[in-house]
Amino acid sequence: MSNPNMIRKAGQMTGRAAGIALKLFLALIFIFPFYWMISTSFKTYAESEQFPPSLYPHTWTLEGYQTVFEGLELGMYLRNSLIVIVAIIILQMAVSVPAAYAYAVYEFKGAGILFAMVLVAFMIPSQVTFIATYIMFSKMKLLKTFWPQILPFGANAFGIFMMRQHFKQIPAELIESARLDQAGEFNIMIHIMLPTAKSTVVTTCLLSFISHWNAYFWPLVMTNSEEVRPLTIAISKLKDLDLGVVWPTIMAGNALLVVPMLLLFLAASRKIIQSMAYRGMK
Amino acid sequence: MGEIVFKNIGKSFGDVKVIENLNLTIRDGEFTVLVGASGCGKTTLLRMIAGIGSATSGELFIDGEEISDVPPGKRGIAMVFQNYAIYPTMTVRGNIEYGLKNARVPKAERDRLIREVAETVGLTPYLTRKPSELSGGQRQRVALARAMVKKPKIFLLDEPLSNLDAKLRVAMRTELIELHHRLKTTFVYVTHDQTEAMSMADTIILMESGEIRQQGSPEEIYENPDNVFTARFIGAPPMNVYRMRGRQEFVGYRPESILLSREETRMLYQREARILTREMLGSEIHYKLVLKQDGEEPITIMGKSSQKQFEVDETVYVNVDREHLYFFDGQENRIRDEAGLKECCAMIQGGL
Repeated sequence: MSNPNMIRKAGQMTGRAAGIALKLFLALIFIFPFYWMISTSFKTYAESEQFPPSLYPHTWTLEGYQTVFEGLELGMYLRNSLIVIVAIIILQMAVSVPAAYAYAVYEFKGAGILFAMVLVAFMIPSQVTFIATYIMFSKMKLLKTFWPQILPFGANAFGIFMMRQHFKQIPAELIESARLDQAGEFNIMIHIMLPTAKSTVVTTCLLSFISHWNAYFWPLVMTNSEEVRPLTIAISKLKDLDLGVVWPTIMAGNALLVVPMLLLFLAASRKIIQSMAYRGMK
Repeated sequence: MGEIVFKNIGKSFGDVKVIENLNLTIRDGEFTVLVGASGCGKTTLLRMIAGIGSATSGELFIDGEEISDVPPGKRGIAMVFQNYAIYPTMTVRGNIEYGLKNARVPKAERDRLIREVAETVGLTPYLTRKPSELSGGQRQRVALARAMVKKPKIFLLDEPLSNLDAKLRVAMRTELIELHHRLKTTFVYVTHDQTEAMSMADTIILMESGEIRQQGSPEEIYENPDNVFTARFIGAPPMNVYRMRGRQEFVGYRPESILLSREETRMLYQREARILTREMLGSEIHYKLVLKQDGEEPITIMGKSSQKQFEVDETVYVNVDREHLYFFDGQENRIRDEAGLKECCAMIQGGL
């Protein structure tokens, strides 16, 4: 082997090592908070107050979790969260699939403007609209129900956008072929188009799930009954549960909130990447 | 039955008129090939028949019934698309079954039909596969099976072989001809490939910029072209056609009608030419030649011959018989009247 070749090889190796180191560092930045949450949740109160803090629990305890389960009616809040999220996802699918199909497949007057409006709606932050929405639901006397948490999210602009982009990639011949096979438009949408969009559907549902599972501000403002409030609000009450801030309890609550999401995300990550990545048509 | 009649058909996309005032009859039971360069309107016509791109004006009849308002699924037609348009998420079986399900054919009957058609096209072992697990040829068969199972009175095929490799293409060509013989229904086939048109068609319809240039059997189109366009489109290599020196008229002859010689002959058309290239194709040789003419632009012609003795750069005589010469007028239409032909022959003899 000649010398310049070896030098180049050595250079490549250092480059790769540097790349791996950088990635590890970035990963660490993202993972550390999670690690800190989990490890604190297993510490005793005394250890959590220690300075300098311990990197891992020296005495393992489930006290934090115990307090959470005893102090809160977790079952009810979990049920509320799930009712709201499932209803939102069903509603969003029922709205965004036909909307995306229409925007992708049909040419009609004003399609461009209407679609632009969908995108604009996507960009307006909820902080701008919540007062008006609140007043509306209050006048309708719905603040003690689940509706204010569900209805405003019935149309998911992001979902419509994603699915439209997907449907636009499907060759028109597929739809024409189905029409020749005597299929009606609804039939085509459900049996021909939707099955091709599996990963997009999974992704939009999952993102929806995450954002509504984590929702705090909106349900806090829009509800005035414990009966309909979600898990996030319950967890936030943990800091008032004992006297003062008890970190292991709060972290245990957060862990309970976050871990299901993480598992769900890991399970679906391949589908998500699939739907985001560019797919050329063959 | 499956006769298709176009009456004063027009089609525009936005402001662009693609087809204007077109009249055409496609006869029942024939294998009709619409052929022309891309953008000539052949696929547009096919899509009109299918009902997935309706005409802007005029009337369209199938078996005497005006069908402009009949939805695609109710026209008794089936179509095979260039990219096959197979439903990617369904199995082969699902693909074939979909149209039957929509037509509310009972389950038992569906099973029987699918078995039958799968057997015919050789897909029986693949019925449970997904399209992504099939080869190009197999996908083509799925598209065919899906069309056949509906037992349509008209088959529409839009360049169905263009995505296959050369060998498979030739094999499928024969299979399609056999299929047509067996079914005896109307086939309308779109292609840009004149070889495909010549080898498969009962009737060829040759199109250019939305107009029909000639309609006839492959023999008619080959032996008796109506105009320069047809003459130059059909044949491989196509007919040599050039304008006679200083005149409006064209002379043409097919590469295979040429006799090459080192000595002068007594044939009507005789020109000195230099051989530019020589392509040995086994049973025959393609010669590319440039005619020796003073002044004007050099004229290159193609010759197809079994005479192997000529070399590149050699100067030879190109000879063509009187009966193999074609003449076209200044509007590029064929000259058929006696007086006109006589005049042209005189010009040829005069060396123009």
